[in-house]
Amino acid sequence: MKHQLAKKMVLFSVIGTIVAMIFMASSIVFPHPLALVFAMSVGQGIAVLALSLYLFAVALDLQSSGGAYIPLEEAPAEETSEPPAA
Amino acid sequence: MFAIHSTEQLLKAVALACAALSVGIGVWYLIRRPHLHRVTKTMLLFGLGVFPGIVSLTGNIASFEYTLSRPFCGSCHVMGPYLRDAEDPKSNSLAALHSRNHKFGENSCYTCHADYQMFGAVTTKLNGMRHLFEYVTAYANTGPDGEGGPPIHLYKPFKSEACMQCHSTTGRKYLEQHGDSVEQIRSGQMGCIDCHNEVHPLALSRRPVAKKEAAR
Repeated sequence: MKHQLAKKMVLFSVIGTIVAMIFMASSIVFPHPLALVFAMSVGQGIAVLALSLYLFAVALDLQSSGGAYIPLEEAPAEETSEPPAA
Repeated sequence: MFAIHSTEQLLKAVALACAALSVGIGVWYLIRRPHLHRVTKTMLLFGLGVFPGIVSLTGNIASFEYTLSRPFCGSCHVMGPYLRDAEDPKSNSLAALHSRNHKFGENSCYTCHADYQMFGAVTTKLNGMRHLFEYVTAYANTGPDGEGGPPIHLYKPFKSEACMQCHSTTGRKYLEQHGDSVEQIRSGQMGCIDCHNEVHPLALSRRPVAKKEAAR
């Protein structure tokens, strides 16, 4: 349950960061005063929120797994692209 | 070919590269939706933390540098007449003469109008936020050069300290030319622009409509 919540939080965090990066990059390419103020306030706010959300999600994920290390080859079956063996 | 000629351009390039990397990692995550194992978490830490941090830092510095430049000041349409005059190679106004001086160069607006104090840059940029508010609220749809808006004026009287950054008031020629007025100028009782008043001849405040309003 906590793992699913963490994945959802990471998803929102990734989307937020992409939006923030687009704001900031556009203000650098087209430096109009309004765009600059918007990017450097709202854009940075979204980026900070997204990072906080990500760190919280990682903490939640570690808590749910008890901090256990999951090796790459032992990832859950639904995450792999290979079809199940007959 | 994209060439880098200044620190500002280098910072912009770094910011854009880091933004692209961050977006790339984000898109990779959205498409692949990998399990949250150690490698994914490390990748995301770079994509959501390290690269955006660099974008924020370099972007802020590059943007601040750009806000000092004349093209930035002139990007609001009400500044059009000021910008055209400052960039006119035939103009003899003070703004144009100083803009042609390589020590002012692209930053001629900021050099003369910035507050000359310890926190001058901060107070100047706070004033800039006020400019932006006034621009959006009072000058929207007021014609190509803002003719339909209220006359433009300085928030506070122009201080001669800005001129004295370069004109020290101690040179022999200066003392000869300014005679008895020197002490008054130094003490602030008399301003440089009281006599040298051809600063922005195309300014909106010099237009007949604005003069009529000022006379009321």
